Amino acid sequence: MKKNSAGFTNIKTIVSIALVAFCVAVFDVAFSALKEPPLTFPLDGRASGTFPSVWIHGSKSAMDNTDPAVQVHAYNDHTFILRENKAINYEGVFMYLFFGNGVAMLIDQGSTSSPALFPLREVVDKIIQEWEEQHQQSDIELIVANSHLHGDHYAAWNQFVDRPNTIMVGLTHEEMMAFWGIKSYPQEIVTYDLGGRELVVTGTPGHQGSELAIYDGWTDLLYTGDMFYRGRLYLDDWDAWVASIRKLRSIADQNPVAHLVNNHIEMTAEPGIDYPIGTTWQPNEPPMQMTLEMLDQAVGATYEVNSPGIYIYDDFLIYNQIPWYTTTDP
Amino acid sequence: MRNKLPLLAKTVDSGITGKAVCRLLLWIPFAFFLAPATSSAHLLNMTEIHLDATWPDSVNLDIDIDLGQSLMTAEDYWIAASSDSNKQAEALRPIASKIKSGLQVKVNGSVVGFELDSWQLTASSLQAIKNPFSPQMAELFFKLKSPIPADASVELLINDQLEVPWPALLRVDHAASPLPASRLLTERERSSRPIFFGEKAAATEGEALSTKAVLAVQALAPGLEWIALGFQHIIPRGLDHIVFVLGLFFLSIGLRQLILQVSCFTLAHSLTLGLATFGIVSVPASIVEPLIAASIVCIALDNLHSEKIARWRLVMVTLFGLLHGLGFASVLSDLDLPPQDFLSSLLLFNLGVEAGQLTVLAIAFLAVGWMQRWAQYAKRVARPATITIAGIGAYWFIKRVSVI
Repeated sequence: MKKNSAGFTNIKTIVSIALVAFCVAVFDVAFSALKEPPLTFPLDGRASGTFPSVWIHGSKSAMDNTDPAVQVHAYNDHTFILRENKAINYEGVFMYLFFGNGVAMLIDQGSTSSPALFPLREVVDKIIQEWEEQHQQSDIELIVANSHLHGDHYAAWNQFVDRPNTIMVGLTHEEMMAFWGIKSYPQEIVTYDLGGRELVVTGTPGHQGSELAIYDGWTDLLYTGDMFYRGRLYLDDWDAWVASIRKLRSIADQNPVAHLVNNHIEMTAEPGIDYPIGTTWQPNEPPMQMTLEMLDQAVGATYEVNSPGIYIYDDFLIYNQIPWYTTTDP
Repeated sequence: MRNKLPLLAKTVDSGITGKAVCRLLLWIPFAFFLAPATSSAHLLNMTEIHLDATWPDSVNLDIDIDLGQSLMTAEDYWIAASSDSNKQAEALRPIASKIKSGLQVKVNGSVVGFELDSWQLTASSLQAIKNPFSPQMAELFFKLKSPIPADASVELLINDQLEVPWPALLRVDHAASPLPASRLLTERERSSRPIFFGEKAAATEGEALSTKAVLAVQALAPGLEWIALGFQHIIPRGLDHIVFVLGLFFLSIGLRQLILQVSCFTLAHSLTLGLATFGIVSVPASIVEPLIAASIVCIALDNLHSEKIARWRLVMVTLFGLLHGLGFASVLSDLDLPPQDFLSSLLLFNLGVEAGQLTVLAIAFLAVGWMQRWAQYAKRVARPATITIAGIGAYWFIKRVSVI
């Protein structure tokens, strides 16, 4: 009788243990299901995106402009393109916000320092907050980086200095390259892991001696900064630019490219004609994004141009080694 | 290529070619509407300041500034730029004075003076100086009157009396730092705030009070960080070790016996941890991890079937300790123990682990240990807790085996 009782106790114990194990398993599975799976950024295939049909492009009267200081366009769920209002600064620069798991990277900070005129930090914080809500992430890190070291691309850098959970990439060549892990500028091509999103980064001097190009294998966007865009390509170092453009072509040969994206629009829709420097109103702007055919034109230019001067192409002007303010404009 | 505009020497200054004239006519109607915002020009001619303390005894302060659009009139700057060096020195004297009174360099909190040493004034034409889109930059080279020590804080401040083309990019090079430091000064943020170099940089990395406290303690007892890391590998990271130690606790034995068991467990896992770290033993995690889960089940089942501690219990706990040590080894390999202090770091890490385990026991005593004299303790507290521990261990075992 005692033996039966002990056996019954043993069975009870085993059932209890199994029940606890089952409950822990259910809890574990439920908890895992509640957790949002990490975002994935596969390199095969292409994460598509859209551009606005027309960017906000300033106004006849800059003083009376009522457009937002920063235009925000979601290229896709994890890629945002921002543009500074041309009425605030004629440069009308494009800035980029790339998201990965637990991290976002802001490339460039516009041409205006004053947060009252140009509240970039506020806008970026809002985008991040909405993105976090949408993708069940919280307290993601922000990296504030630059395509190159010209003042019209980092004027609002200071707005982020006191931001919590933020990495400020310094504004010197050495600090920039240390951040990206580029030891041999500009030749080296490095891969940067932005929370599972692979960015290929390399030096592309010519316009400025610290310039970088970024290839995002998830969207197939090739970001060319100020060294190649629809506008006046001011080149201090022709030989460096030649090598950079040819390197971009080589990257495009080895990787699928959806669009070339960049920092400014200075060309009109009419081939070979640019807006005057300093304009705060650009009606009938062409798209910002460029094509591989345009890159091929630039590669062609590297064989055609052989002396300082202004060279006019349909979609860009080459200002080779001349004072940049020497323009064809009034 | 559609066209090339030939670059002639004169076109640089005049900025107008034949084709440009036609385009000028085209654009005249729009010109009134296309006036750039007033702040635009400031970006093209922004100021650059370089404090170079690469050689601490000879510190240079270089300022790249559009004088003709800021501290001088365009005409005065054109005259100065076109003059000989004596006249340039005379023209720059009041400018240097303005800069010296408006720009402060603070080293370790004290203002350090500087003197104009040399300069380079460039201008292609008066028209270019006047044109806000064609900055004609002057380079002014100052020398600091005092050296900047190896461990220093450096701050640069532009007061309200000095208006320079904004923003002003500051670069500081210092012998103690492999990388320069950069700051952006704006009309609103006129101070770089202190930038720390040498030991001061290490001491101020991260401004949180807790970080400073940890750094201060580290300075007093450098090994403390290894103790802290060992502790963290129990609380909060070592959940299976916590459950195992609780399994030992719920046998309801005396405190002395319990500490003896936990210490044997720690000594045993220290041994395998050391052997694994030296590469003398190596067991894949796919084997160790399920066995650790099984050890938890074993210890719990032993509790359920033992009224008092068996002699072989201590042997079993020691053997399980050896097993748990192998589990720690993979963690420790990520910690990158310093080769020069390998043994002491390992010892301190284990001390931290022991402290973590004792903390678990202390918390268990505070939570339920005081009820041990209650007649129903075994039935109402220890047994259900032990069954829970066995259930958790069983689930981990199945999960870890299924992952293999």
